[in-house]
Amino acid sequence: MAALPRRIIKETQRLMQEPVPGISAVPDDSNARYFHVIVTGPEDSPFEGGLFKLELFLPEDYPMSAPKVRFITKIYHPNIDRLGRICLDILKDKWSPALQIRTVLLSIQALLSAPNPDDPLANDVAELWKVNESEAIRNAKEWTRRYAMDN
Amino acid sequence: MEEIMTTSQGCESDMDCSDNECYEDYYNINDDSDIEQVDPRKVDPEYFEFKCLYEEEVDRLLNETVETLSNILHIPPSLAKVLLHGHQWNIEEVTRKYHDNPSNTLITSKIEPVTTHSNIIMGRYMCCPVCVMPHPVDKFHSLTCGHLFCRDCWTMHFEVQINQGISTGIACMARECDVLAPEDFVLRHLTRPNMREKYQQFSFQDHVKSHPELRFCPGPNCSIVVHGREIKAKRAICTQCKTTFCFKCGCDYHAPTDCQVIKKWLTKCADDSETANYISAHTKDCPKCHICIEKNGGCNHMQCYNCKHDFCWMCLGDWKSHGSEYYECSRYRENPNIAHESVHAQAREALKKYLHYYERWENHSKSLKLEEQTLGKLRSRINQKVMSGLGTWIDWQYLFTAANLLAKCRYTLQYTYPYAYYMDAGPRKELFEYQQAQLEAEIENLSWKIERAETTDRGDLENQMDIAEKRRTTLLKDFLDV
Repeated sequence: MAALPRRIIKETQRLMQEPVPGISAVPDDSNARYFHVIVTGPEDSPFEGGLFKLELFLPEDYPMSAPKVRFITKIYHPNIDRLGRICLDILKDKWSPALQIRTVLLSIQALLSAPNPDDPLANDVAELWKVNESEAIRNAKEWTRRYAMDN
Repeated sequence: MEEIMTTSQGCESDMDCSDNECYEDYYNINDDSDIEQVDPRKVDPEYFEFKCLYEEEVDRLLNETVETLSNILHIPPSLAKVLLHGHQWNIEEVTRKYHDNPSNTLITSKIEPVTTHSNIIMGRYMCCPVCVMPHPVDKFHSLTCGHLFCRDCWTMHFEVQINQGISTGIACMARECDVLAPEDFVLRHLTRPNMREKYQQFSFQDHVKSHPELRFCPGPNCSIVVHGREIKAKRAICTQCKTTFCFKCGCDYHAPTDCQVIKKWLTKCADDSETANYISAHTKDCPKCHICIEKNGGCNHMQCYNCKHDFCWMCLGDWKSHGSEYYECSRYRENPNIAHESVHAQAREALKKYLHYYERWENHSKSLKLEEQTLGKLRSRINQKVMSGLGTWIDWQYLFTAANLLAKCRYTLQYTYPYAYYMDAGPRKELFEYQQAQLEAEIENLSWKIERAETTDRGDLENQMDIAEKRRTTLLKDFLDV
């Protein structure tokens, strides 16, 4: 494998030295392009109190291509599907090489605070979020308690 | 092109004269004859002026337009190209918009940013925000927005985008910056020849697709681009691979039905065809002696092998009532009391109506294929005749002309069924179905005569051809509305 680009080294160093509040991202011991991520559920959101595990992978042509990010902890959210895939514009067509791992993770945290049921990935969740928001929020809290709090 | 295309008569004829390759003007060849000139635009409802272009010719056409705009607006050609691509190559519209508000036009066309990014450069070295490497200042480039990145990062960015099939839509690397990279900027940063080639190929495709007067020939592995004078659902025929298609939507030609309706119909058929196939079997029983009959020719005028009864394959009625008199087995008779029936009965009626049109659509499509086989048989029979000294090859050519005309007529007839299916009941539909019936009757007569060509009088056959084609043109004149 080719040497790690300076860009990835620099980003990793900065993530360790000045971590983003509520987010931890640690590179895997055997693969410097694979990050173990933990995002804490934002305050005043149904995910508050939960710790959500994610995986983040920097593809070969990063930063020209977006990192691949996926939730590992189950989460009840209209923009995150059963496989943990995330519907977020900056991970797709709005990706810019000037964005970084930290900005991506901050955007994901913001998505937890502001779910967008009009651009859904998990249709059943989005549907309930639209027709009966209080029930959807109850479900999200329940899932947070059940899947994101035991460790 | 030395001047902007205008719709004025004078300019158009100037162009025709200056470019003798331009468009078929065969109707002008007999200029000095005494016969009165007929404008094919008025006589032939399917008349369409188009030209098949090779890639180099398309390139030339596009470059001429780019150059014209570049000269009018005094902007570099690469920016003129971005402007034209974003405005469907409508040079008048771009010019008007630009004269009204140049900066706004450049911003909405993503050539210039809403606000320009200013850089404070100190020293001879700078750190690229993408690769975080220090480079000499002169290695940094930016688009009109001012976002500076190093040369290597631009190259990598372009290569990654091109590998994803993106070309004319490559934007600046900065976050939330929409400014597009013009062709000359991209090419300056692409060093690998295969990447340059890929980029040029993709942007060529983008440009043709954004140009309403250009359309790629849909034929397999055909690189011809058809240039139509007007953007209408007319028939274009590729001179290279002979594919016939609708210029507007690129699908199979479908007159008199329009593009949206045929799309709706084909989707419907794809959904329902299994049921329809199940219901309409491939064979039918003779209505008189009930022997099982498989259709082996295109003609719908059937004669039972067993009892010699003449009947219509479509409605199984006696052919006597079809031949000379009023032919109406193409017409669907709607149940007048349907509004009062139950939902179930209405659904049945809807299916019945659909099947009526679908069966006819499908039947003519099958007939077309069978008539192709007839043509093959015809060819071998003619060969035999020529070999045994019965006339020359040229003497029998009229039979091929007849077979081709039959295919053309039946093709139009096939496409009248989706048209009729989506028509609202009323006098116009009655007129349409009347003309459709007339056309159908003449087509079946023609098919009958061609299948029995050796015993049919040539004059009789040519007369029949004339009638069938007239019926077809009449129907299209009244109903082809594109």
